[in-house]
Amino acid sequence: MSLFKWINNVSNNERPRKAWFSFVCLIFIVLIIIPSIFVVLKMFTEWDIVSGVLGDPEKTSLIWGALWNSFSIAAIVTVVDIVIGIPMAWILVRKQFRGKKYLDTLMDMPLVFPTGALGFSVVLFWGAPNGIDIPGLGMVLSPYIMLILLHIIFTYPYMVRSLSAILEQIEPNYETAAMTLSASRFTAVRTITLPLFRAGLVTGTILCFARSLSETGGTYAALLLMNANGIFFTGPTFIKHMKEIQDPTAMGSMILISVLMIVFALILLVVVKLLIMRFKIPIKKVWPHLGRKLSRGAVPKLKDAFSIAFLAIIVLLPTFYIFTYLTQPMADIDFVALMSAIGTSFAVAGVAVVFGIVFGIPIALYIARKRDTKLGKILDNLVNVPLIIPTTALGFSLGLFWSTIYAGGSLNLLMVVLGHMAFTFPLVVRNISGAVEEVDQSYEEVAMTLGAKPFQTFTKVLMPIIQSSVIAGAILAFTRSLGETGATLAIDRSANTVPVYIINLLDAGKHSEAAFCSIILIAICFVFMLVLRLVVSRGGRHT
Amino acid sequence: MKIRLDNISMRFGDFYAIKNISLSIARGEYLTILGPSGCGKTTLIKVISGIWQPTEGKVFVDERDVTDVPIEDRDTGYVFQNIALFPNMTIKENVGYSPRVRNMPEEEIDQIAKDHLELVKMFDRAGMLPSELSGGEQQKVAIARALASGSKMLMLDEPFSALDARVRVELRYEIRRLVKKLGITVLHVTHDQEEAMSVSDRIILMRAGGIQEIGTPLDMYRNPKSIFAAYFIGETNLMECTVLDKTKAGRTVLRLRGGRTVRASKSSFYSGDPVVISVRPENVYTANDGLEAKVIGIVFMGTYWRIRTLAETSDYIDYNISANDEVPQIGDEVRLVFNKKATKVFERPEEGLEEAIKLE
Repeated sequence: MSLFKWINNVSNNERPRKAWFSFVCLIFIVLIIIPSIFVVLKMFTEWDIVSGVLGDPEKTSLIWGALWNSFSIAAIVTVVDIVIGIPMAWILVRKQFRGKKYLDTLMDMPLVFPTGALGFSVVLFWGAPNGIDIPGLGMVLSPYIMLILLHIIFTYPYMVRSLSAILEQIEPNYETAAMTLSASRFTAVRTITLPLFRAGLVTGTILCFARSLSETGGTYAALLLMNANGIFFTGPTFIKHMKEIQDPTAMGSMILISVLMIVFALILLVVVKLLIMRFKIPIKKVWPHLGRKLSRGAVPKLKDAFSIAFLAIIVLLPTFYIFTYLTQPMADIDFVALMSAIGTSFAVAGVAVVFGIVFGIPIALYIARKRDTKLGKILDNLVNVPLIIPTTALGFSLGLFWSTIYAGGSLNLLMVVLGHMAFTFPLVVRNISGAVEEVDQSYEEVAMTLGAKPFQTFTKVLMPIIQSSVIAGAILAFTRSLGETGATLAIDRSANTVPVYIINLLDAGKHSEAAFCSIILIAICFVFMLVLRLVVSRGGRHT
Repeated sequence: MKIRLDNISMRFGDFYAIKNISLSIARGEYLTILGPSGCGKTTLIKVISGIWQPTEGKVFVDERDVTDVPIEDRDTGYVFQNIALFPNMTIKENVGYSPRVRNMPEEEIDQIAKDHLELVKMFDRAGMLPSELSGGEQQKVAIARALASGSKMLMLDEPFSALDARVRVELRYEIRRLVKKLGITVLHVTHDQEEAMSVSDRIILMRAGGIQEIGTPLDMYRNPKSIFAAYFIGETNLMECTVLDKTKAGRTVLRLRGGRTVRASKSSFYSGDPVVISVRPENVYTANDGLEAKVIGIVFMGTYWRIRTLAETSDYIDYNISANDEVPQIGDEVRLVFNKKATKVFERPEEGLEEAIKLE
């Protein structure tokens, strides 16, 4: 309690507050931003080996192919997510029905699954002859299509969540008002609600795109099971591949593709933002009859049915398909190895999340409250950087940075932790700053007029209000870290986290073991989340 | 347009927001719906305008059953409490929205928007966004937008509740002038009785999902048919008493608590009936003789003094004094008499007086 008092008293002075904030910014820049983009600098210092790769048409065509696959898959997935996500967000926000809570929970399920397990499950489901084989069609999906189906699963929740968050803030009266003015619901939505949707669309698009671009574990697992590994590459699996082969020019290829992914991703971020903000849905022309036809009777019902069916067939069934392994005899699992991997993963995720909360809150507060200042804008954009950069490239860059600074090899696990800190940080900050923006500042002002000191105001007033968002951000970051394969592998190929362990099992052809390990992991994650939510809600009730 | 409601109910689960409402509204009539919060005022106009479908009953417009006609084909202007101007469109685009979604030619849309903006004297703001206007201006635009739909029915859902007192007063006369000129039937929900009194042709007083009373403002003020109406519209002193007798002229003679007798207006009660009398503060005077009372509070109301007394009957009785007159001191003894023509007699409610005037 005395520490609390001490902080409280200190917080009353401007100078220590500033010093703390400067320290946080410094940590943010040095630990997260610089290592994330260090590889760009490296490209210039190591230009010789990079230019060597550029001169080799065989390698460049491989790199371009991988990049094309990554970016085109991400683009297709994002577009599908938008088209399917909008009606789903509508159902979740505007409709009241029984069982909505369950639908809401089911939506997030794919996020709890380690992506490696997800990739496995999806191939099992879609891949003939093991999974669904549509008779007569002899449907065998190409790796490209398979990856699109896979990537939709774990990006879809991000899109639906971003869109719902915005839709919740849009006054439903706008549509009603438009309808009293003789607009059909279709026209009302098209001319009023959709144009107001842009901010959510930007966030959703960026999140989905970045997530798809980053994905390594699931993609690798899927390619492996389809025997397409080494033939078909995406950016991240290419880096993984290069790390594994003993080739003197591998370094050059990895630097080149990492830099290209980072640069393209950042350019894309700017372009998407501009495009969506500039793009105007044409509202001058209306079709009263068509609009009425589309707004009544079967069409809206079909649309809802289609959204639910899409969620069930494309997202949920393939996700849970791995559980069919439970009908088979239990595989021989090396429990010691699995538990040690799970322990490592939980430790890494835990440290990353705690770091994110401690250092993320000051930055989130600054972004939310001082968005209009120059520093606020800079921080706002900088925080997005590790989010946009494909995690494999980020991990690779980070590994290069720290090994340049410290040559010893024994700190690999620490580097993995630093890597996970970098890509989970934005998730925590985004969630918290979003919540803080919603909170009327007058609450804190009132607390101050009643004699509360700044730190007290924060812990007693603001924190309880935003608590649930902090926890949501922490859970998101935790699951994200738990499922991450690409960054971990790019930093340290021998790292002993669960996703890597599962990938290694798959690599060794131990499918059944991999499946059972995944199921155990999913169960542990699920129980962990449940307990966390329970503890938190109980804590909330007591205070 | 003529509106008729036939036994309308709106149920949410087990709760009736409005129940068994039947009502007839003449073409071009300006009606206000008054009542405490939660009495179903807004539900009623939402059902009439088609935003909600009633769970029972029928809505007729010009004797055509429109109950199942969807909202976009109802042709009813609606002005929302929170204004709800479309934030992504300029003022002019907002006002031109209705003609646009009816696919009118561009010049016509332009003309309609211009005419209606001029009607509310907002044409100079045509190119601005809603967020650039003050609350009162936004509400004017919202009204112009509703009128631009060409609808002959207008629902106003507490349109002025967020506005400054002065803006509110100006705007309400402005609207009345406008709709009367255009011959539009208006249903205006408000909780401001002064507003209801000053603009309506008739007032609908609602309570707990039902219609308590309908009448012209003056009639409702002077001759309320229920204790609740007397209490809710204007201010009044309510006293429990018993009928003693009737005078030859038919006036009721009553015995107040404590035994003193007073005379009131004509009524149909008989000797011995338990009743409640209602007398408004402006109908209570001080005199040399009458009810003994002690002054316990004095408040300047802006244009007159309101004196609160505790009478010998154990009732609180309020009366008014002109701002120019001399004011008594707290603790002074006064004698009070009532204007007997303006003293209304009601049956004493079985559930008790408190219950009868409860707002929920």
